[in-house]
Amino acid sequence: MGEVITGNGKILRAYGLEVSGCSLPAEQVGGDFFEFISCDERTVFAVIGDVMGKGFHAARLMETIRHMLRECIRINPHPLEVVRRLNRVGWDELRKCGAFATLCLLCYDGIAGRLSCVNAGHHPPLLLSDGKVKVARCRGVALGLLEDYLGSGVEEFFLADGDAVVLYTDGLVEACGPGEQRYGQERLKEIVRLQNGADADRMKQNILSDLETFTRGFSQKDDVTLVVMKVTGKAGERGGN
Amino acid sequence: MEIRVRQKEGMAILEVEGELDFSNVEQLQQEIQRRTEEVVEIDLQGLRFIDSSGVGMLLSQVRHLYKQGRTLRIVRIPDFIREDLDVIGFFQVLEALKTNPNA
Repeated sequence: MGEVITGNGKILRAYGLEVSGCSLPAEQVGGDFFEFISCDERTVFAVIGDVMGKGFHAARLMETIRHMLRECIRINPHPLEVVRRLNRVGWDELRKCGAFATLCLLCYDGIAGRLSCVNAGHHPPLLLSDGKVKVARCRGVALGLLEDYLGSGVEEFFLADGDAVVLYTDGLVEACGPGEQRYGQERLKEIVRLQNGADADRMKQNILSDLETFTRGFSQKDDVTLVVMKVTGKAGERGGN
Repeated sequence: MEIRVRQKEGMAILEVEGELDFSNVEQLQQEIQRRTEEVVEIDLQGLRFIDSSGVGMLLSQVRHLYKQGRTLRIVRIPDFIREDLDVIGFFQVLEALKTNPNA
């Protein structure tokens, strides 16, 4: 397996994608994470997740899950098998802590333009294509809640140049303004729709600006993690960062 | 968070109001564990916020009571919280526990 690109505020340009992501912690260190994991010359995994709880404990559990995730991808990179195996190997660790983790795993084949999505209790990604926003339908039970992963399977999409995918954690849609109204998926869909034509980093910045306008500085209870992936060509047409 | 306890024909009803999160999740857990009734009902109508610690605790208590041959019932969930629980797969887990309490 090649490079593993992770961390906060990174921009990745590879596999015919431009990706921008960030994680904004709330008052305490939380369990949100996102990661891009190279599989081969044409395939990359983009993963977003949230481990139950707050503080050091959740952060440590998150690191364990990330390590297991990379191992699961290395053993068998089929997206559904990755999540099934991760649930199986993470079961003991999560049950020991009485915890669970939500995760949305995307596998992008940059030559075919095929995006495969498997979900384990996470908010489904939004897809922006030709100015229209679609919500992925894939659903599944969060990791650590049942011994065998139970979900709707793999959902596939074919992406063209200019299409974008938005991944986010619940801290974004559950963010509240002073009136205790939530930001919500409908507002997120609308701001994503308005980003047609913008690059991935600009999209991310504009969504976060809209969130800031909505919350008006009101302190939030949960971390906000946001990842935007935009198709810019076919894999191999552009180099890595 | 405020918990009001009512009793009705061998059943305890815990009405939860406010926010249930990592800072107070043990308070509700202790109240559930203190009950000896066969059925414990958690009424969430007054709940404004629940975080993943609250969700995890509720599921672990459902599992715990099922293993004792008792029932923890979660009722009157506000719509916006029901949507969050649905995303996580909460109701699928409850169904799985009904058919196999050891799941």
